[in-house]
Amino acid sequence: MKRAAAIVLSNPMSLAGVILIALVVSSAVFADLVAPFPSHRGAVVDFANFNQPPSWPNIMGTDLVGRDLFSRILYAYRISLILGIVVLLLAVPAGVVVGLAAGYIGGRTRFILMRTTDVFLSIPPLVLAMSIMGVLEPTLANGMMAVTAMWWPWYSRLVFNITLAEKEEGYVLAAELIGASRIHVMFREILPNCFPAIITKMTLDLGFVILIASSLSFLGLGVQPPTPDLGSMVAQGASYLPDSWWLTVFPGLAILVAVFGFNLLGDALRDVLGGDQ
Amino acid sequence: MRLERNMRSVCKLLAQRLAISLLVLAGVSVLVFAIARIIPGDPARIALGPNATAEQVQKLREQLHLDRPIWTQYGYFVRDLAEGDLGISLYTNRPVTTDIAQFLPATLELILVAGIFMIGFGLPLGIVSARYRGRAVDHIIRIVSLLGVSAPSFVWAVILMLLFAFFLPLFPIAGRISTDFEIDRATGFLLIDTLLVANYAAFGNALWHIVLPAFALALSGIGQAARLTRANMIETYGRPYIEMARSYGFPEWKIASRYAFRPSIIPSLTILGLDFAAMLGNAFLVEAIFAWPGLSRYGVTVILRKDLNAIVGTVLIISAAFLIANLIVDLLIAFLNPRIRYGQGSK
Amino acid sequence: MTRILKATMTGMAFAALAVAAEAGGTLRLDEVAVGELDPALATDYADSMLMFNVYDTLVLPRQGGPGHVPHLAESWEGSGTSFTFSLRSDVSFQSGNPLTADDVVFSYERMVGLGRGLSYLFGLVESVEAVDGDTVRFNLSQPYAPFVASLVRLPIVDKKLVMENLGEGEGDMKDWGKAFLSANGAGTGAYAVKSHNPQEETVMVRNDNYFLGISEKAPDTVRLRYGLEAATVRTLLAQGEHDISSQWIPPEVKKALADDGMQLLTESGTGAFYFKLNTTRPPLDDVNCRKALAKSFDYASVLKLIAITDNVSGGSASTGAIPVGMFGANPAGQNLARDIEAARSHLAQCKYDPAEFTVEISWIAEVPLEERLALLMQANLAEVGIKSSIKKVPWALFTEMVSKPENTPNVSQIFVTAVTGDPDTLLYGMYHSSAAGTWQSPEYLSDTEVDAHLEAGRTGASEADRQEAYAALNTRLMEVTASIYGFDRQSVFAANPRIKVPALSDPAKAFGLDGMGFSFRLIEME
Repeated sequence: MKRAAAIVLSNPMSLAGVILIALVVSSAVFADLVAPFPSHRGAVVDFANFNQPPSWPNIMGTDLVGRDLFSRILYAYRISLILGIVVLLLAVPAGVVVGLAAGYIGGRTRFILMRTTDVFLSIPPLVLAMSIMGVLEPTLANGMMAVTAMWWPWYSRLVFNITLAEKEEGYVLAAELIGASRIHVMFREILPNCFPAIITKMTLDLGFVILIASSLSFLGLGVQPPTPDLGSMVAQGASYLPDSWWLTVFPGLAILVAVFGFNLLGDALRDVLGGDQ
Repeated sequence: MRLERNMRSVCKLLAQRLAISLLVLAGVSVLVFAIARIIPGDPARIALGPNATAEQVQKLREQLHLDRPIWTQYGYFVRDLAEGDLGISLYTNRPVTTDIAQFLPATLELILVAGIFMIGFGLPLGIVSARYRGRAVDHIIRIVSLLGVSAPSFVWAVILMLLFAFFLPLFPIAGRISTDFEIDRATGFLLIDTLLVANYAAFGNALWHIVLPAFALALSGIGQAARLTRANMIETYGRPYIEMARSYGFPEWKIASRYAFRPSIIPSLTILGLDFAAMLGNAFLVEAIFAWPGLSRYGVTVILRKDLNAIVGTVLIISAAFLIANLIVDLLIAFLNPRIRYGQGSK
Repeated sequence: MTRILKATMTGMAFAALAVAAEAGGTLRLDEVAVGELDPALATDYADSMLMFNVYDTLVLPRQGGPGHVPHLAESWEGSGTSFTFSLRSDVSFQSGNPLTADDVVFSYERMVGLGRGLSYLFGLVESVEAVDGDTVRFNLSQPYAPFVASLVRLPIVDKKLVMENLGEGEGDMKDWGKAFLSANGAGTGAYAVKSHNPQEETVMVRNDNYFLGISEKAPDTVRLRYGLEAATVRTLLAQGEHDISSQWIPPEVKKALADDGMQLLTESGTGAFYFKLNTTRPPLDDVNCRKALAKSFDYASVLKLIAITDNVSGGSASTGAIPVGMFGANPAGQNLARDIEAARSHLAQCKYDPAEFTVEISWIAEVPLEERLALLMQANLAEVGIKSSIKKVPWALFTEMVSKPENTPNVSQIFVTAVTGDPDTLLYGMYHSSAAGTWQSPEYLSDTEVDAHLEAGRTGASEADRQEAYAALNTRLMEVTASIYGFDRQSVFAANPRIKVPALSDPAKAFGLDGMGFSFRLIEME
């Protein structure tokens, strides 16, 4: 583990990733301390000072009701990270169980589970999430549900493929010979061998969940105001281009920075741990 | 003899994949139908508008079979679907099939051009990057392609629009073609229609309109394709037969194109199929920004309007398009890779 | 090959040059919503623009003043419950069919038979009969003062053409020609539909056989585009590739356009912006809580928000429940204003404890300005100690939510305009107890005094009677505080200065009816 960390940190690109993620995470965690205008995360209006270009003290300008954009982006990171983590915590176990069961048990179970997975995978991700959000009220919790619904099949496919390969390995056959239960073989023998791939994919996915969630809220199907959200900031600001460019450019770059960071780190982890493509 | 055996196994694979695709499509229809029916809000009331009376609403509900149990509704839906009828859109007051026929070509055209960009830029970048592994060029390409993957297409759409339509007005910012051209839309694909009537100025104009949106849509795919190609090529470069080819003094370009590239394109192709799905979804975002009158925009509107028939129709068509694309990719792989061809299908 | 390549390259460069080459005949404008071409389904602004140009009505609003003038009708007589119209004899439909009384009867029956759009305006019409070929009589079930005004919403369709093109449907009238009319025009109007793509644009061309004749300066072709982003409109206008913006682009964008040398066109006097309070659900079923909200609202900040330039604004200060200029309105200048102390004292008298409720403020997803107003209200309420939450609702869902009082948000934000220009069509639909539960009336107000004033207003024999009834209504509405009156609305459009639209720039030429300012035949291209 230590060695892995050393490898990751010695590569300039993955080091950059670690730094970016550290920045994003710490601004989310310490937003209350870092943000110049902490109250601007909520329903504050200042019509004397709205839609202003970047200047001191609003280094990224102000939004359409006069709130400091920089402060809001910091708080938006907080929401994005929570969303990303919760989605993965829900989607990964679900996908893993389905993939393990389908791969190990095989037969009809495999057919039903993997075809169900295919059904979900054959609806374009955003379309599926949108259909679900169309049904539900746009809230943070429902947004998480919608993204989770489109995410678990990727893990079930990943784990399924690994399980198929692993179940022919000697150690699995050995466990079966000494009469280990299916559950034991699946979760104790095969699952640990899926971990490197899962962890790599999760790191990469944290960025992509943030990306998809921002796409959903760009379409108006995400977190509701006054809660700051990067996707809806871009969507609202888009009407004011090109004059009020700061309204879209900074939140857009904020998404880019976060996802880029996770991608850099994910890449490095993949080199070290191995894992899926 | 060998060709015949090839054809037979490919046909068998095709039949197998087709059967599975149809099964999946049936599953999709159930899923989407269920989602569309549990949408809160009465579609009949929404369709009739704010001033309709209760009787009018009730009448429309009966016409749409909304008063029947959901499985009966699904039965009606399947019966109509078999006749090629997806019902009337409550939003445009037209048959859903008419709407889709009008809007789908615009979206497909956008996605196809984006796909061409993805391959046309992504593969060469990946090859160059792998060939010059560890050099400055490799680092730059890696960073750029990772950046491409790291922002949603709507952010790229906004940035490209800002740079190349606003500040540096090189490209138009909206629409498919300038209003000065009146083209008979035989296929709905403007790039084809303009060529059919041999109006090359109009073709150029349509091409000029599609560049920015297609590029915004393609950027993450370009990054993805470049990264994959690079990784796979590096792997093949490490194989002994490349060393052998080198030692025989084969020219470097020949090694790259024939021995390193071909084996590495197969994994890229699988991902291409998946990226196609992502593009169908991301087109929602790009079409909104570039005022592209395609199916995705229609999809967003009908979802917001709770237009049941149109939602089901749109999602079904998009899923079918995705399945067909994957089918084609599978077949391509089967042709390219003998191992998969003679084995029992790919993973 | 070289030739083809060259042509292609020219095409790519063409749009840049096209600006200069193409100017003259084509008017290009845009609307957010999809245009509904069938006149019996027309409700919103885009629909109205199409309707007023493709179709004609028996009467037209008088330009620059109250009242109506004959249009397809040569003259009319009658009052109370019976009105007789003599039709002009020189009018033909775009198809060439002559206009007859039968067409008027058919248009009415089609409107009511479909029961969509604004057909409710004709609920008091009992029957319409063709007295002879060019005389038609409307019989009303009870006197209705704004009847003649409501005729601006009865477009006359070509019966013969529609009957030849009936689609599938049940009954004698099948689909009433709905399928045909959703893609084709069948009117007498000054512009004929050339093509209609509900998601892209409607193209109309000048009808040179129009019975009133059309000035040479009027556009030959009109392209009404749909769903363009504000940023797109802004750029196209600045580049000379667009002529008139929709009113829905944000004020800041209009300001930027004005700074770039665009002119601002305006249309006003027919409506207002409201915060509608659901009077059936706690805490706003208590009038004191409603008053606390109304008094805490910062009316002055709203005006700052909707201001575009020093002279032009998206609205003017509200003086009461009725927009300035209509019957019963308070004069301009008596502006509603914020009063924190009054708000606090009303809140103290309210039977609900502000610590125990949260007011839900909704905003319509299609109108981004409302989000800012919601945030403003949230901040205002917080100052007097009322908690609130903000909820974004797409329009389609909103119209459905308000059909049940328990689903209707505490506060809904709505623009309402008088669809015929008459105060009855603004106020009756909002406040009469029988009209509760539509998108206009999420207040669910049930007040016998308000009902009585509304009835008096629509049956009043003289203008003085109506004036008196609406003045009393105004007072009563302020007492019950079912709505917060944000501002009197003015629609603002940014336009290329080479386009002259007298009906939207000269008050003496204004129609006082939403959408009619865009009568393309009165627009001059230079």
